[in-house]
Amino acid sequence: MNHPAHGKARITFVMAAIAVGIASTAMAAPKTIDLPPDGVQMTPSALPGYAKAQASCVVCHSAEYMLYQPPTAARPYWDAMVKRMKVVFKAPIDDADMPEIIDYLVKTYGNEQPK
Amino acid sequence: MNHSDTANPLRRRLVAGGAGLLAGAGASALSGTALAQAATVNLPMVNGRRNLVAYPEKRPLIVLTSRPPQLETPFEVFNESLITPNDAFFVRYHNAGIPTSIDADTHVIRIGGSACGKPYDLTMAALRSQFKPIEYLAVNQCSGNSRGNFAPRVTGGQLGNGAMGNARWLGVPLKDVLARAELKTSARQVVFNGLDTALFGGGDFVKSLDIDHAVDGEVMLAYQMNGADIPMLNGYPVKLIVPGYYGTYWIKHLSDIEVVDQTYEGFWMKPAYRIPDNDCACIEPGTVPASTRPIGRFTVRSFITSLQDGARVTAGRQSVVRGIAFDGGQGIREVAFSTDGGQSWRGAKLGADMGRYSFREFTFAFTPERGSHDLRVRAWNRSGQSQPMEALWQPAGYMRNVVESVKVTAV
Repeated sequence: MNHPAHGKARITFVMAAIAVGIASTAMAAPKTIDLPPDGVQMTPSALPGYAKAQASCVVCHSAEYMLYQPPTAARPYWDAMVKRMKVVFKAPIDDADMPEIIDYLVKTYGNEQPK
Repeated sequence: MNHSDTANPLRRRLVAGGAGLLAGAGASALSGTALAQAATVNLPMVNGRRNLVAYPEKRPLIVLTSRPPQLETPFEVFNESLITPNDAFFVRYHNAGIPTSIDADTHVIRIGGSACGKPYDLTMAALRSQFKPIEYLAVNQCSGNSRGNFAPRVTGGQLGNGAMGNARWLGVPLKDVLARAELKTSARQVVFNGLDTALFGGGDFVKSLDIDHAVDGEVMLAYQMNGADIPMLNGYPVKLIVPGYYGTYWIKHLSDIEVVDQTYEGFWMKPAYRIPDNDCACIEPGTVPASTRPIGRFTVRSFITSLQDGARVTAGRQSVVRGIAFDGGQGIREVAFSTDGGQSWRGAKLGADMGRYSFREFTFAFTPERGSHDLRVRAWNRSGQSQPMEALWQPAGYMRNVVESVKVTAV
């Protein structure tokens, strides 16, 4: 137990446990979870931005972030998101790769998808 | 096909996906591969197909994103009980650096900041033993709950109506925890951080409350949810509870509290989670708000839970329609229902008052004639706030609370 070892703290602890009607809250081992794998992958494409997006985007997050956007999402949205990832989240995206990544995103998930 | 199957297509798919026994009979739309991998559900929006996956300590939930996890509660859960079970409660993280192992015995909340006279470290043992606990029921709801229903559509997490839940929270008022820290009179805001991190060091999820709000005696450091440990994905071992306020403030795995003498303006307070700074928190679709403020309290909402849109019911037979209503903390005063698309309204019967932050049950009798019926419900809170008949719009897709329509056919 990590709580202070002197008697007063122990008594207070027991009293509090009784007062709120909870059973023993004896603390056990750390709680540990295993997360499942990503449920979707980025959509393959012949566009040059596909490989660069794979390298840059899914390092931090799974592909639903792109896949589930409304298909009306226009180029300014994808442009703003890629820039936000770098400016706000410090994602290691080369400025030179951004135009191709944005182009892949809007043509794969946004409103420039082939009809 | 029996009535319950018709009214509950999601459960049917779950059964099919889980066991594969009904693959030929009930789930012809799913390929064999999909059946082997996961059940799916179609949310009522363009591009609304989602996987259902059981994350740790969770039953199969609707996956908005796998990593970091964002999980939506299947809507029929809200008809099963007024308290949302822990294993069905929605999950929303912002960054992928989420804790997967936490030792509550060594977890510490560090309390400090420029307006804190006496910084100290608070252990879970001290939190549980040295303060008088409080307990209440409160709805938590994601700011962007129902975003996928916006018209015109907005970008962001495309949620249906399941990013909400009602739970019994047990913990300690933040007011009492801060009283030990000897706050200075210059204190203006309290800033909260949790163990989750951003992978490349930018955009850590940090939120703030004004000092008067933080010490209102209701904002709580909770260590139990519905009588059990808080699930890891909901913030184990201690979560900030801000009743009546959107979930963005309910910091998980709470680890740092800083009392500061200025307004905190990190990314997740500004420009994120802002709403138009006007009475309706709304603007004309496609325009930009003149000014914004941080999102705050819930708007009033109500949902029919016992019938899903598109359900078939039996003509001439009376049934009891059931649902839930809630608001930002005034409490629900009245729920009206219409069975003719909003042309005429009558009062629904309210269930027991479980507290002004809780879901409030309502019921009404419904004896449909043969044909189609457009059921609507509309709630008012104790200060007279209600729900708009036509949806309001804002660019971030927060605070949706239009009067919902559930169309059923009586045969």
